Amino acid sequence: MTPRGLLHLLTAYGAVLALCSLLLFWCVRVDRSRVPRGPVLISIWQHGERKARVAATDESSAVRALLAEAAEPGATRVVEQIVDSAPVLPLGRLIFAASIAPARDGVSATYQGRTAYLTPDDLLKLEAYEAVLDYGQLGISLGANADKVLGPLAAELGTNADELFRHATFRRFCVERSSHYPKELGAADVSLDVVRGSVLNAARYLLHNQKRDGSFRYEVNAMTGDDEPGYNFPRHAGATYFLARTANQLHDSKLFRAAQSAAVYLKDSQTLRCGAHSCVGEGDTVDVGASALALLAYVELINGGAAEYHDAALDLAGFLRAQQRSDGDFQHIYSVAEQHPVDVQLEYYTGEAAFALSRVQRISGDARDLEASRHALSFLVQRPVLFLGGHYFWGPEHWTCQVLDDLWQRAPDRAALRFCLNWQANNRVLQYGALADRPGIEGGLSRGPFLSPRLTPLASRMEAAVATLSVARQAGVEPAELATLGAEIKSGLAFLLRYQYTPGPAYLMPDPRAVSGGFPGSLVDQHVRIDYPQHAGGALLRYWELEHAAKEQ
Amino acid sequence: MAEASDSRVRIAFGVLNGIAGVVLLVGVFVVAQPRFWVLDVPAALIGVAQLASSVSLLARLRWALRALAIAAWVSFVLGLIIVFLIVLTMAFLRGIHGDYGVAALAVSGLVVALLVPYVVVLPALELLWLQRQRSELRP
Repeated sequence: MTPRGLLHLLTAYGAVLALCSLLLFWCVRVDRSRVPRGPVLISIWQHGERKARVAATDESSAVRALLAEAAEPGATRVVEQIVDSAPVLPLGRLIFAASIAPARDGVSATYQGRTAYLTPDDLLKLEAYEAVLDYGQLGISLGANADKVLGPLAAELGTNADELFRHATFRRFCVERSSHYPKELGAADVSLDVVRGSVLNAARYLLHNQKRDGSFRYEVNAMTGDDEPGYNFPRHAGATYFLARTANQLHDSKLFRAAQSAAVYLKDSQTLRCGAHSCVGEGDTVDVGASALALLAYVELINGGAAEYHDAALDLAGFLRAQQRSDGDFQHIYSVAEQHPVDVQLEYYTGEAAFALSRVQRISGDARDLEASRHALSFLVQRPVLFLGGHYFWGPEHWTCQVLDDLWQRAPDRAALRFCLNWQANNRVLQYGALADRPGIEGGLSRGPFLSPRLTPLASRMEAAVATLSVARQAGVEPAELATLGAEIKSGLAFLLRYQYTPGPAYLMPDPRAVSGGFPGSLVDQHVRIDYPQHAGGALLRYWELEHAAKEQ
Repeated sequence: MAEASDSRVRIAFGVLNGIAGVVLLVGVFVVAQPRFWVLDVPAALIGVAQLASSVSLLARLRWALRALAIAAWVSFVLGLIIVFLIVLTMAFLRGIHGDYGVAALAVSGLVVALLVPYVVVLPALELLWLQRQRSELRP
């Protein structure tokens, strides 16, 4: 190949590539900010099911549509106007699935002269967004589950999914809707009253979903009203801790009784012998996490006046200390069957154990608890000096900075404070600012471009962020850094508040009261697991405590 | 003088093709999991062709220049196709996700920037050098 030939080839290649890219971009894009121009979709939802839908071509007929149905008891009339639409390229199911932006796009299918619509509400209800696409051996999570989308469209158009996919034409569309979820709430709206109300709602979610034996409905699917299988004792203990803390801080006796009931379940039904001490869990092996979080809950209950947890708390503290290694880390598993520690490490447990030991020391007065916690904190914040990546790669461990805060008056650790400030700086890189075409995600943490931000990873980071802010204020950190951290926290908390079920998209739910006050997993995951309100409520409560105390002073 | 220069170029291309072939094969078949034929087949073709040309150039085998030409063309054509597909994917995702897809643009752009030196620039230089060799051999 001659230089001239190469130049010509690359020029032609570049021109064709640019042209194809532009054509593709203009073909698939929708303009979400334009004046709505499509048909108006009027839907009647009743008891979580769509009972009727009309697609009106003009606004005057839309105003009159389905008014009688809307007057029925329990019915909600939702109006969605299509703002813009674009074709879905007929290039197979992978492209079909990838063409639907999660939580934002609906899909229409036109088949034999008739058109059926699935709005974002429908797709949320179907739990069709962000399904894992199995493509060969690859599992890719993006867009929507093609089967869940095609089935209802095919049923509405009187055919089957395969026939519809082969012969229909599909369009993605965005809508402007009358629904008030997520709430229009920004960082400026994060007031102490709003935060306090939200914390109480989150705690009351747990209260209302507690069973007679003290356990909770573990994970409720808001879209079906059903329970998901499974139970997890660290999460049960974490929920108990949050209930007790909220009860103590906000002086709510009902919540305190619920926390006691949940703690009795742990103490009487889920406590085993692990060597010389007791531990929490079930089966042949237990983990340190359940015992650490149970200890946190017991300490809160003792602080609230339930002195009967004193001995149990000290016994759990002994178990945690016995699990600690010489480097400050913990052996995270204990074999109940063989009665010995198992030296493996799992995420979060070291931070949980360190936090629990710090908290219990205020009650036990035992210097060994303080030393164990201080040593663990020192271990947690060690970063290899010469490993460049150590400055840029951070995990989701969120207990460390709460340990820092709790220990600060007794064992201040400036290295840990720097660690926590740096971690929050990294979190700010992942935090969404204002996006013109997507205001609802401001303050959320990015999980990449194809996935919606989740609430709980943000909430747990906010727990740590508020703890860091508390210490940073005491340590005299630069005002500019305090202001940046404060702004990050308010933006993050606003994101959480925006999506709390107060009441949320109640018309999509068969039993909205069951999930009232809860926080969903994400914008598209409408499940409430017990740790979601625990972490979101925990972050909000920490913020309320910090700012309330500052206001009082 | 010219012979010494050619020898140095052969060694340079041999070493570069060897490194590129090993990096590609290790990256795709050892690091990347799970197996995905859309990536595996072109990567295997490019990697094997580059390793073969590398060995032949460094060992001064008779068919070294032919192997280099095949490796360069395979890398160049498949490289252009891969870059084409990645850029089209970027345009598609930007169209679907709007501003929200900026992170994907950045990552895909980085991937393109990392690929281009190995799958476009290096084979293009090799093809230009082969052309010069052929024109010098002509009477």
